[in-house]
Amino acid sequence: MTIPVSTETLDLAAKFPGIVTPDEREGYSGWIVKADELAAFAASLRDDLGYDFLSSVTGVDYLPEKKLEVVYHVYKTTGGPGLVFKVQLPRKKPEVPSLTPVYPGADFQEREAWDLLGIKFTGHPDLRRILMWEGFEGHPLRKDWKEPFYEEDIKPYSSRWPEGKHSYAEDRNPFNDNVQFPKQFDPEKWVPEGDAALYGALAEYRTTDEDGLDTDHIVVNMGPQHPSTHGVFRAVITLDGEDIVSMKPVMGYLHRNHEKIGERNTYLHNMPYTDRLDYFCSMTNNHGYALAVEKLTGIEVPERTEYIRVIMDELTRIQNHFILIGMLLNDLGAYFTPALYAFEERELILDIFEAVAGSRMMCNYFRFGGVARDVTPEILEKVSALAFDRLPRKADEFDRLLTENEILVSRCKGVGRLSSEDAIKYSMSGPSLRASGVPYDIRKADPYSIYDRFDFDVAVRYNGDTYDRYLIRLDEIRQSLRILQQAIRQIPEGPIQTGKSTYLTKTPAGESYGRIEAPKGELGYYLVSNGTGNPWRYHVRAPSFINITALESMVVGGKIADFVIVFGGIDVVLGEMDR
Amino acid sequence: MLFDYMAIAVFVFFSTAIAVTAILLGGLFGPRRKSEVKSEPYESGMIPIGPGTRRMPVRFYLVAVLFILFDIEVVFFLPWAVSFRKLGLFGLIEMFIFIGILLVGYFYAWKKGALEWE
Amino acid sequence: MIDLALVLEWVIKSLVVIFMLLGGFAYLTWFERRILARMQTRVGPNRAGWQGLLQPVADAVKLVFKEELIPARADKVIFVLAPILTVVPATVLAVVIPFGTQVILFGRQVNLAVADINVGILFLMAVASVAVYGIVLAGWSSNNKFALMGGMRSTAQMISYELALGLSFVLVALMADSLQLSEIVEAQRTMWFVVLQPVGAIVFLIVTLAEVNRAPFDMPEAEQELAAGFHSEYSGMKFALFFMAEYQKMIVISIIAVTLFFGGYLGPFIGRFPWLGPVYVLGKVVALLFGMVWIRATLPRIRYDRLMDLGWKVLLPLVLGLVLITATGILLADEFGNSLVWSIPVVSILAGFLTVGLVDRSLRRKFNALR
Repeated sequence: MTIPVSTETLDLAAKFPGIVTPDEREGYSGWIVKADELAAFAASLRDDLGYDFLSSVTGVDYLPEKKLEVVYHVYKTTGGPGLVFKVQLPRKKPEVPSLTPVYPGADFQEREAWDLLGIKFTGHPDLRRILMWEGFEGHPLRKDWKEPFYEEDIKPYSSRWPEGKHSYAEDRNPFNDNVQFPKQFDPEKWVPEGDAALYGALAEYRTTDEDGLDTDHIVVNMGPQHPSTHGVFRAVITLDGEDIVSMKPVMGYLHRNHEKIGERNTYLHNMPYTDRLDYFCSMTNNHGYALAVEKLTGIEVPERTEYIRVIMDELTRIQNHFILIGMLLNDLGAYFTPALYAFEERELILDIFEAVAGSRMMCNYFRFGGVARDVTPEILEKVSALAFDRLPRKADEFDRLLTENEILVSRCKGVGRLSSEDAIKYSMSGPSLRASGVPYDIRKADPYSIYDRFDFDVAVRYNGDTYDRYLIRLDEIRQSLRILQQAIRQIPEGPIQTGKSTYLTKTPAGESYGRIEAPKGELGYYLVSNGTGNPWRYHVRAPSFINITALESMVVGGKIADFVIVFGGIDVVLGEMDR
Repeated sequence: MLFDYMAIAVFVFFSTAIAVTAILLGGLFGPRRKSEVKSEPYESGMIPIGPGTRRMPVRFYLVAVLFILFDIEVVFFLPWAVSFRKLGLFGLIEMFIFIGILLVGYFYAWKKGALEWE
Repeated sequence: MIDLALVLEWVIKSLVVIFMLLGGFAYLTWFERRILARMQTRVGPNRAGWQGLLQPVADAVKLVFKEELIPARADKVIFVLAPILTVVPATVLAVVIPFGTQVILFGRQVNLAVADINVGILFLMAVASVAVYGIVLAGWSSNNKFALMGGMRSTAQMISYELALGLSFVLVALMADSLQLSEIVEAQRTMWFVVLQPVGAIVFLIVTLAEVNRAPFDMPEAEQELAAGFHSEYSGMKFALFFMAEYQKMIVISIIAVTLFFGGYLGPFIGRFPWLGPVYVLGKVVALLFGMVWIRATLPRIRYDRLMDLGWKVLLPLVLGLVLITATGILLADEFGNSLVWSIPVVSILAGFLTVGLVDRSLRRKFNALR
């Protein structure tokens, strides 16, 4: 496969005179678009220039300049670097036309930007809060919004450093916490205000069928406390018997405002926090974040480190896919046997993570321009035993045991189909996108780290059903093993850290977007720096969150039993979805 | 021979007694701390919308009716099976005819889509 | 004649069978968990007592001390009644099963069956149908959507599979010429019915799985979509009763399978030592139960509509065909010599293969249409 290294230099300012101007701030790139013309501009980008994949929509609150900025990252699914465009809005009453008609994948991201930053997207079909609850006061990612127990804007807080004589704000508070209810309010009896709007968005609940008989539709909450929603995801489903008539996802039950925490943190502080996003794949989370910071600061990464990173990433991908297959079978009703077989392989990989990083799940292993510790030859030997012997065998074993299983085939084939057009439209990324016949893998399409040196294929399947989403995981495990084998053979000796590793990273003012092919899809980190040791804006483009945009179109018309496996087949982790 | 049925009655009595005892035991030893939220029916942690018991799709009813039809025919099979050797060829032909009629209804139901669930 | 000794005999035999089932239930849970664990590269419960043998006791104690909830706006009477209605039929099924021939005990001829009635098979069918009530009422009275759907599903599933179950009973009645279970066992002295009608035995075992709601037919309690199905709202001892019903039914239905197809209490030296009867039954039952656990560890769940398809469109016509094949075979053997009895297994196996082939073809077609 050829790698499109660069594209023609685009002069959008000339193409759209009066609408688009280049972003000429120091450290920034891309284009600034007038809000009124945004929809037409985006449609032209998509149709004329081929930027069909909307990767990320987010906002930045430039408090000193009294501006809000909406930032869009678009890419071509044929590969190549992307394009950034921004819309600048006044802080008071910020309104921008919604891009959902052009890129339906913007749906949840715009809701998130409305929820957290208070940017109103006019024309959005269902602009409700998405991560916070309905009735929440304010928009937390605004720079003038302060959380309970607020101390300072940025860490390290002076109460804890350098003297370290901190006290907890909740102890100083006479009520022991600052959550107070009005007299009449009983939290036990509280019904979230948002639910009315949510149920209203569902289809009618009683309908008449063609024979004139009334049928009751049942509205069922699947989740947050449900065994098969992989955490606290909630889907509100209208059922006609066993058939799904409509479905609305609800999320945010695990929301902790990761991004606000990230903006309080220093750059390095934030590394362990990224572990907690997709808690199955802390290594890749680290990698994406390190990549974004390295882009911002221009730190070079030593050769050996790049190899170590690739090895860790691919091990992460392998264990993630094993678990996915195991858990998918669990969703199919196999009583834990495949899941536990998968866990056996995962434990072996986690042994390696523990050996290099000291922790099995929350690795916190990557550093800017390096990794925390070197990989010893003994560990490499272990990795190569896995990569050359055990894991290929086990992948074959899974293949042999599961792929032809009649029940698996009959329950997965044709279930939850997503056409390639729809997959792109809904900004689906990762294995689920490739299972729909779009061979888009960032490792090939827009290579980062040293992925351009390895010989591997982009796994792709063409039916876009759950069976293909299962098969593609096996394919990817095998491709990852190929990369792993090459990396182990080629890994050079050398330093693992550029310069001295420091606790405080000073960054020049500017923005950067680092994205990697995480096991679950495109994981992007958007950083804005104002030149201090803390990020001004820190945004995570979470694949679990955005991949769910397409869920509704995949499950409606199917059975309730299919909902579970379609949801399981997309592969989401709530830690990342809710952030 | 009827004594045997009395044995069954004794058996039913004791098995019911054990089930009732089990429930009473649970009521006796189990704590009881009621609250309004606790007694809400489980719906994944959300307050259910609409009543929990309501009309179900008519297919279930259809299955029930078909079941009654075919189950009665199965019951007809049993005495035939027991006295089959006495009936001989006559019984066999008889049963072929019976099953033939049964199959007509069966395929009618099938073609009408009564057996379809998708 | 009814005398005190006879009544005493009934009471003792009833209590022995009931407590045997209770103990069997308790240790079947342990057995299942240990076997599953081994199959899943785990260890399983091994803390309470030697090899975890006290685990069932610990579970029981815990369940007794659990709080029992009755959901708001539930139908309280039915809600309490449902577990009883489920567990009693599951136990009562065992009443007609012969565990052996006659033994001499305290100078009395004692039948190793509580009540060996002459319409045993009919009794089994009737009681098995009653068990459906408990489940559907539990689902209905819980005022819970998952429970209701689970209850409805299991009703439809159980009654659908009851047809194939009833017809496989007919197969046995044909071969044994009787509805009495002890006579059915005696009829297998020369040859187990599984040899004579292997396809019928396989169908019976499949249907059995569906009847007791075991994997891969554990639809009503499909954890993945319906949480716990019809017993979502049950806790404490009421839940324990449902659990007990499921496991007792597993045991009892295995015993029935053993009685109908695998020679019941028959085995070597049974003539000389009638006491060996229960031992043989136990051994065969454990083997069948192991198979059930193995299946649970291996197979994913079949989707509901496919399950109904299997019951109505595959198993029902197949067993009907088997009934005709068996009847014809018996008649041929009677008329033209005993060796023709072998036409039954041969033609049945052919019919079985034909069915599997047809199902396979229609599935392939379905998948190809999707491409």
